[in-house]
Amino acid sequence: MSASADIAVARPAREIPVAPLLFAGSLALYIVTALATGQHAYLTGEGFVGLTQRMVALGIVALGQTLTILVGSIDLSVANLISVAAVLASFIMKGEPAMIAPAVLAVLALSAAVGLVNGLIIARLDVNPLIATLGVGLILQGLLSASFSNFAGSVPSAFQAFAYGRIGPLPWSVLLLFVLAFAIWLMLTRTRFGAHLYATGGNRDGARLAGIRTERVIIGAHVLCSLMAGLTGLYLASRLRAGAPWVGRDGVYDLESIAVVVIGGTLLAGGRGGVWGTLAGVFLFATLDAVFNMTGIDAFPKQVLRGAIVILAVAVYAVRSRGHVA
Amino acid sequence: MSAATPVLSMRGIGKSFTGVRALDDVSLDCHAGEVHAICGENGAGKSTLMKVLGGVYRPDEGEILLGGQPVAFRHPVEARRAGISIIHQELSLLPERSVADNIFLGLEPTRSGLLDRAVMQNGARRLLERVGARVHPGALVKSLSIAEQQLVEIAKALALDASIIVMDEPTAALDDRDAGRLLELVGTLRREGAAVLYISHRMAELKAIADRITVLKDGKLVATHTAAALTPAMIVRLMVGRDLADFFPTPGDPAKLGPIVLSVQDGGNAVLADIALDLRAGEIVGIAGLEGSGKGALGRALFGDEPFTRGRMMIDGHEGLISSPRTAIAAGIGFLSDDRKREGIAPQQSLRDNVLMTLRAFAQRLLPPGSGAMARTAADRQLTEVDVRAAGFAQEIRELSGGNQQKVVIGRWLARDPKLLIFLEPTRGIDVAAKAAIYQLMRSLADRGRAILMISSDLPEIIGVSDRVIVMHEGRLAGELKRGASEEQVMHLALGTGATEAAA
Repeated sequence: MSASADIAVARPAREIPVAPLLFAGSLALYIVTALATGQHAYLTGEGFVGLTQRMVALGIVALGQTLTILVGSIDLSVANLISVAAVLASFIMKGEPAMIAPAVLAVLALSAAVGLVNGLIIARLDVNPLIATLGVGLILQGLLSASFSNFAGSVPSAFQAFAYGRIGPLPWSVLLLFVLAFAIWLMLTRTRFGAHLYATGGNRDGARLAGIRTERVIIGAHVLCSLMAGLTGLYLASRLRAGAPWVGRDGVYDLESIAVVVIGGTLLAGGRGGVWGTLAGVFLFATLDAVFNMTGIDAFPKQVLRGAIVILAVAVYAVRSRGHVA
Repeated sequence: MSAATPVLSMRGIGKSFTGVRALDDVSLDCHAGEVHAICGENGAGKSTLMKVLGGVYRPDEGEILLGGQPVAFRHPVEARRAGISIIHQELSLLPERSVADNIFLGLEPTRSGLLDRAVMQNGARRLLERVGARVHPGALVKSLSIAEQQLVEIAKALALDASIIVMDEPTAALDDRDAGRLLELVGTLRREGAAVLYISHRMAELKAIADRITVLKDGKLVATHTAAALTPAMIVRLMVGRDLADFFPTPGDPAKLGPIVLSVQDGGNAVLADIALDLRAGEIVGIAGLEGSGKGALGRALFGDEPFTRGRMMIDGHEGLISSPRTAIAAGIGFLSDDRKREGIAPQQSLRDNVLMTLRAFAQRLLPPGSGAMARTAADRQLTEVDVRAAGFAQEIRELSGGNQQKVVIGRWLARDPKLLIFLEPTRGIDVAAKAAIYQLMRSLADRGRAILMISSDLPEIIGVSDRVIVMHEGRLAGELKRGASEEQVMHLALGTGATEAAA
């Protein structure tokens, strides 16, 4: 046994850096299109700020979705929760600056509760996460549609600063997205909860046998994911100046958040992936939006292209992982 | 062994699953500094007993005492906190995480709330050295061989610094060299005062390290004896309840050897080189070698899973190239994977569906009327031929023991009347009685004119069953031995030492 001490152990090979490659590719596409169409305004500082601002709404939900997918679950209720959050925020605020804090707290509390319900149904009742969150999403949308059919209330101008305010050249909202991404990255790579999230997603039974309380990890991931959806709802209410019961659905935040997570290299089965890949996926989608705006092509080819990219990304990952036959 | 209070004592443990009695009034104890071996056939209740101890299951009856104090675990985390570390039979590692992450899973050291990576790396390196694993703590587990993964699993169990260590067939995936190293480690743990519960089928291991041996059968405790008082034959008799006179089948008759069914010249691919091989109808050829010697790769190359990229192949007198499993099957080759759960069976389908899988793969697109019933008769005939023991042929295959699952997979190939059967680790994780049945089945298949290539890490099986033995070393054939060779001769070739005299 002591003989092995002096035997050199090879350092493991590094994996392909998905996030930087995706990011660089998207950026190149953006610049080339702007140059080719002669729309140099897109290449100014203001143009790039606009590009990052396109990332905010989808980016925040997708950060949350990354957590549920990593833990081996999924959340289809985010789009409907976003609608509920946006409507609830503007309904409580009713244009009163004094009501900002209570409204934000109420939205976050409700979001956490929805995440808790999702997590409990999945971890304790062992309901398939697709079905569980689809059901919860439908319930949310049903309750919302029963109570509101149009814009409800409005947000005071002080709250609009969340979407429109800036420090220096940088919008608050963009800063928030990156701060959240950094915090979640830190949590995933540097905390015990993060390690347990990967472990539970990678092998739930194995994690349980290692002494991890996997139910808590799954519930935790869902609570965080729903909180992110709630934040997105607040952001959309701020940007639209009022909440409407269709904002989440119209943004297709449920499916698009899953798509960007997968494009970013997170395994749909869980246990592998991370935040920066997701952000790179969000950046790619924002770039596509901008590129289609520049070229003036209508929205349908954009959807087709997005679909093709999702399939292509998953295929590339699948082919690559086939090389790792141990 | 001291007369002091045992570290662990299980009293009258009983456990039932939906009416099936898995454990019935089992009592055993283990002292500090003692290796207590537990053996029994598959389904005897060993793993269930260990899961009760580990907090995975709660016993219906009986109690567990640690140092004389009764305990009741509701979750594996509580058993771990009480100092019980279990190396489970199924690998529970995370392939996408690093070795260090896996070793400290659930025990991650933190500093002011954040993971302490430095402590994890150093700790992992120390533990890996201790188990003799030459792997980097930062390597992803999926990049390791099965043997290395098993060693990481053991390092993970040692990270807990447990007073009670349970090993459930820890050497099943290891070759003899790694297994030997593991046994040394068990000796060290014993000297350091750990109480070790050791589950194994390998008689040589039991004799080498066990202080006491407990035999379970059908969920009941048959006997507990000191190891010195038992011979392997006695252990087997206790396990199966009868003598196993004909454990290995009678050898084949060299005069009855048929024509060459498969011949390879200069075969090679990324891991194999200079493979020259002739296999005749009616013989069982054993392939031995250490983990990583390429013996598994040889089987997969012949079956087209990871085909030869160089060389020539003659199948049944025709020059042919096997490029995929489908071409191999069409050419009359059958294959038994060493990873039964993943590559061998469709767990939730019936025995019939499993045994018909290959037949259907080559069936017409549109089945003629009445073929359903015909297929059913064919399936039942094959299942009867391999002597599967099951409640019924419509039963889901996952409910069967490993030995019976293996028979179903063998039966699958018989429908194609194969000329060559490639068996990878045919008895891995299979109990003693079922092993003997598989050996008999292999011999009767060979006697009816089939060639059998048996690739195995189990030396007694290689020597006891094969008509001749080919030993591999670093992707090449290191030499060939006639029937009756000794384990030492095989090991010499496998290790690449003294090849010339051993090959004589």
